[in-house]
Amino acid sequence: MIEMSRISKTYTRGGGSVVHALREISFTVEDREFVAVRGASGSGKSTLLNILGCLDVPNSGAYLLANEDVSRHSDRNLSRVRAERIGFIFQSFNLLPGTTARENVELPMVYARGRVHRKKALELLERVGLQDRANHFANELSGGQQQRVAIARALVNDPPLILADEPTGNLDSTSSGEVMDILTQLHKEGRTIVLVTHDNAVASYAHREVTLHDGILLSDVRITPNEIAPANCEAAS
Amino acid sequence: MKLAAGIALAFRSIARRRLRTLLMMLGVTVGIGSLTLLNAVGEASKKESMKRFKNMIGTFDTIILRPGAGRTRGMVSLTNVPGTLKFEDAQAIATNLPGVKQIANLQNAFDIDIKYRDHADSTAVFGVSPNWFELRGDDASNGSLFSEQQDSDLARVAVLGADVESRLFPGENAIGKTIRIGDVPFQVQGILKSRGAGPGGGSLDDLILIPIGTAAKRLFNRDYLTMMIVQLKDADAADANVLAITNLLRERHHLTATQLDDFTITNPRAIAAQVTKMNSTLAKTLKGVAILAMFLGGVVIMALMLIGVSERRKEIGVRRGVGASRGDVLWQFATEATLISCAGGFLGVALALVGLGAAARLASLPLQLNWDVLGISIALSIATGLIFGIYPAWKAAHIDPIAALRA
Repeated sequence: MIEMSRISKTYTRGGGSVVHALREISFTVEDREFVAVRGASGSGKSTLLNILGCLDVPNSGAYLLANEDVSRHSDRNLSRVRAERIGFIFQSFNLLPGTTARENVELPMVYARGRVHRKKALELLERVGLQDRANHFANELSGGQQQRVAIARALVNDPPLILADEPTGNLDSTSSGEVMDILTQLHKEGRTIVLVTHDNAVASYAHREVTLHDGILLSDVRITPNEIAPANCEAAS
Repeated sequence: MKLAAGIALAFRSIARRRLRTLLMMLGVTVGIGSLTLLNAVGEASKKESMKRFKNMIGTFDTIILRPGAGRTRGMVSLTNVPGTLKFEDAQAIATNLPGVKQIANLQNAFDIDIKYRDHADSTAVFGVSPNWFELRGDDASNGSLFSEQQDSDLARVAVLGADVESRLFPGENAIGKTIRIGDVPFQVQGILKSRGAGPGGGSLDDLILIPIGTAAKRLFNRDYLTMMIVQLKDADAADANVLAITNLLRERHHLTATQLDDFTITNPRAIAAQVTKMNSTLAKTLKGVAILAMFLGGVVIMALMLIGVSERRKEIGVRRGVGASRGDVLWQFATEATLISCAGGFLGVALALVGLGAAARLASLPLQLNWDVLGISIALSIATGLIFGIYPAWKAAHIDPIAALRA
């Protein structure tokens, strides 16, 4: 699914000092893996996720997403990849204000090929248990509900890769549990999930844990065997 | 992103910010409204001045000869023209130039004393050849006009303008009555149909018309004309005929090559063209004013769009995150600005129409909407939205989605 080789990313701060967010990171994620990325703040994990999510491009190195080098893609092509092949889940939910839950879920369909299917949005809301909240505005929903709407939105174009940036960071433990259950389920369906988190409990849902420190890969540990390994996934589904 | 989806998106976003949208529309509304209004008024006043112009000179297939070099200021009369244009000149033009259909002659004077019983007054007296009426398109509202026979008989008959009739014969039938012009008695034979206002706005009905032969021999005792109206067979051959008449008259007046013409020829068509041109200069100025208003409206759109873009950073970040390209965001904001501007334009046209309707009723001006103006209005609205919306849209498109999503 993901093949990163010698990816570097530097930023220039306001004062002119250069920050090395990522230093020649090489990193591979197989199809249907569930990976937690950990690290202190400033370790480069957000930068890594942004590059993985095609929101950012590396200064050097190659990023192959499903064997396609996207690191030199144009803005239009990167946007197409984001719309159709990647589902983003953010810490702060990032629902559009003044817009209903259903409209938020429909949003990625506006930017992907094909028509906007209202039915699909409603199906996904039902899946995350919010079918009766479809016409509620974002600010009328609790944090957990908002994050579930955000998950439905991430799934609406049926992307194989889900990227989650501290998805439970703003949630209480009950809501966190619900969100992680949904992510686990998505993993079981065969989606690849990369999750950035500080939280040990959240990280424990993943079967592989990657730790970044100062822009380099500190450790890459397989915690539990991946039950949804590529080989037996076919049998499971 | 799809076109329809983009427009729907813009509509929703506009609907969410009604007050701001209204403010953004305002400048364009004023600009387009005044453009439409001013243009319709300009168009109407152009028509009106052409109409008045035609009232004065009658037809457009004529050229006008006046005695004296250079332009005489104001209306000619026996007291302010030299005696260079004779009856024989008119005769010579009529017989020698094949392009001439007919000639109407005028010998006129202003402020001539007139009297009916104990009503004393004064007015302009026009001695005219009988075909004058036909050339001018004049008709009698009562009684009859005079004939060729009466002209050659030097008959003392008069046709009164409507103003003179009402002053001299209030509530009385004038036909058949005898009035005195100067000291000469004339019998009133007809009343001229009212001709309304001239180009200066003054009445064209304050006059008495008498046969020109009678005027020359029995009233004024002058052997020269104050004006000659030459009707052409072919209105488009005016220039050639002007040249032919000039040559003929110069020869008859024994003018050497170094001497200037002792007569003046005017081509009403040329004057009419000038009037129209003058009006289009006015129209251009008015358009300039409207475009200035549009510019200000555009600046308001740009300012409020820029504020909107910075307020909507998060929305832009989310859209970019779920797959909107820079182009999509640019298109979304440009569409919004254009739609708002167009709405402003339509409101402007609508308000102008309401205003025109009211003005038409109040001023009884024959107002009409020029379809060109409608097209220009829409084009201008779209252009304003695009021109002033493109920079904010560009700003929106270049917001860093990562920073916007984190905020």
